[in-house]
Amino acid sequence: MSTLRFMVDNFEEVLYLSWEHIWIVGIALLIATPIGVVLGIVITKYEQSASRVLNGANILMTIPSIALFGLMLPVLAIVNMGLGKVPAVIALVLYSQLPIIRNTYTAIKNVPPSLVDAGRGMGMGKWKLLRELEIPLATPVIIAGLRTAAVMNIGIAAIATYIGAGGLGVYIQQGIARVYPEMIVSGAILVSLLAIIVDGGMALLERLATPEGIKVQRKLSR
Amino acid sequence: MTKLLIKLYRVILAVTILALGVVAERTGLMELLSDPYEYPVIMELFIQHLYMVTVSMLFATVIGVTAGILLTRKRLRRYAGICMYIIGLGQTIPSLAVLALAMSFLGIGTKPAIFALTIYSILPIARNTLAGITAVPPELIDAGKGMGMPPIRILMEVEIPNAMTVILTGFRVALIINIGTAALAYVIGAGGLGDLIFTGISLMQTDKLLAGAIPVTLLALFADFLSELMGLLLVSKGLRLSD
Amino acid sequence: MKTFVRFAVCLIVISALSLSGAAVAGEKSLIVGGKNYTEQLLLPELAGILLEQAGFDVTLKTGVGSSIARKSLENAQFDLYYEYTGTAYTLYYKQKDNAIMTDPVKIYNWVKDADAKEGLVWIDPVKFNNTYTLMMSKAEAEKLGIKSISDLGAYVSKNPDKLIFALDSEFWERPDGFKGVMKTYNFRLPAKQVKKMSVGLTYQALKKGLVNSAMGFATDGRIVAFGFMNLEDDKSFFPVYNPVPVVRKAILDKYPEIQAILKPIAENLTTEEMQQLNKAVDIDHRPVHDVAMDWLKSKNLIK
Repeated sequence: MSTLRFMVDNFEEVLYLSWEHIWIVGIALLIATPIGVVLGIVITKYEQSASRVLNGANILMTIPSIALFGLMLPVLAIVNMGLGKVPAVIALVLYSQLPIIRNTYTAIKNVPPSLVDAGRGMGMGKWKLLRELEIPLATPVIIAGLRTAAVMNIGIAAIATYIGAGGLGVYIQQGIARVYPEMIVSGAILVSLLAIIVDGGMALLERLATPEGIKVQRKLSR
Repeated sequence: MTKLLIKLYRVILAVTILALGVVAERTGLMELLSDPYEYPVIMELFIQHLYMVTVSMLFATVIGVTAGILLTRKRLRRYAGICMYIIGLGQTIPSLAVLALAMSFLGIGTKPAIFALTIYSILPIARNTLAGITAVPPELIDAGKGMGMPPIRILMEVEIPNAMTVILTGFRVALIINIGTAALAYVIGAGGLGDLIFTGISLMQTDKLLAGAIPVTLLALFADFLSELMGLLLVSKGLRLSD
Repeated sequence: MKTFVRFAVCLIVISALSLSGAAVAGEKSLIVGGKNYTEQLLLPELAGILLEQAGFDVTLKTGVGSSIARKSLENAQFDLYYEYTGTAYTLYYKQKDNAIMTDPVKIYNWVKDADAKEGLVWIDPVKFNNTYTLMMSKAEAEKLGIKSISDLGAYVSKNPDKLIFALDSEFWERPDGFKGVMKTYNFRLPAKQVKKMSVGLTYQALKKGLVNSAMGFATDGRIVAFGFMNLEDDKSFFPVYNPVPVVRKAILDKYPEIQAILKPIAENLTTEEMQQLNKAVDIDHRPVHDVAMDWLKSKNLIK
């Protein structure tokens, strides 16, 4: 298969671009997660702002990716960071907010009130409740949100090539310009592979993060 | 504390809108839009964009809903999982790649773009149709059978109306992604608002960039709103009340 | 929760390590930029190989539009890239003097002096002229009796709806681009007869007959390979476009040997050879790096 030959012949470049791609998505997630989780927790405590924050994040995600990348350029050009990985990462952080905030919010809201009551009955204060009860129980769903964000970001990062961020999108961009189908297909396959691997990896993480008790409970209720 | 947050939110909103106005003025967006030579070009691109989105969504909806329904029928139900998985794999391919691949096989221009957009929009619709119909409470279907309804009537009068909310959500998601992906179609020679965005990026002309980015965003937001409206029309009152 | 924290810590550590790795490499490192078409992938590759041979650590950042490349150089996001004299003269400095821009020496000196004030140094120019061209298939040009851009203009004025033209958005917008051509040659192609696409696709569109005429670059190997002809620029609208490495002054002061290292490219690369290199990448689909290495070896520039 000529595409396979292409990937084998350019193995170093394949690795380099894949690494660039992973780097962009990874950094974006690293930044987006604390922000998203904290916001998610905050809006569970301040119900009235919940719908607004969720709406705001929803609007962010509705903005077409190339438009958001494009908008980063003039805004960041002021600080001379208009091109390259920085605007790409920032845009990806913004895109990731909705899945993360929404999942955090839903997860914490779904902690059975009876458990919260029991905790309060045991004398747990607000912070202790959060740390030892609500967050551990919510973690699997939060990770599910991260998983959605990660897979989404991998796809969107392919478009970031057009603002100079590099990554596997380069194969698609150059493949189009040079009318080089093997390159395009390589780019497409590599990104998809990356998405599938990350999806699987995060599913594993989800399972690891589920407290033993819940796993048992799920098994019993089947 | 909450009141303070709400006030803060309102202030941020107002400042953002004002800032956008300033940006529009300073980057020459206003001049660009009122330039008699440029304006018809922008309108033409807008219409091109709308055309691609409309045609592809039409195909995608017909194919997607049909596929979703077929996979819930008794004989084909076991293939549902596999089919959804395969279509799902297609979704992991980034939109840009789907466009580029369509170009390699079908050439340059609007036709391959519409083809790519159609394929990309089928999944959310098909998957939600399948999920929505599967989730219809079996008691309702039983009731229909009990009333002597033939399967086709059950489909039209029980299953689809009850699944409508979920199907509409799939439609909405597909539509928004479609509008965004159509902006990339410029790259394979299909025009559309992406023309302005990519030109703006490559020449660092912010007015062009905004002239493309803002209409696309507004279009997506409008599509979101439109879907809500469709929900009002297509979802029966009784179901809506229970939401 | 614990697992999550551990995972996050691992990610942070990995990123920190790679970032610091990049910082350590900062010793004798250069960022060479390039635009988004094949020639602008080859020239930085040639430069990069020679610079690495001389002990530099080179990062290539190619694939952006002209204005972005220029901005990147000004903002020190690039250390050097190959710019064309004509592009700098007409696009960045918005000059129109026909006497200067059709003379390769005059235009070179003009942009060199202008950029010296901006802290950018133009070193040795490469000899070939990669001008924009308007192309048509030989067969169609003969059929319609079109040999020059004036002929094209006359044809369009008589038959405004017959001809479709393919170009990229940069060529449409630039002062040395299509709008300028239409003005100088006094014709107006209606907007719907103009098809915009990514720069490499114009050749494909013309080859497949989707358009009647297209924009191209003079040194592109596909012009000959696909049987196209370049319409004569009889009114000398286009300036001369010699590629020249433009380096940030701070970098050149620090490493003045860069000029000597890159000089062999300027002295040895002819129009025909550039066309061959472009063809090898675009038509034979050979990797850019290999094509560059082969050329350098053939000129005994690789030790």
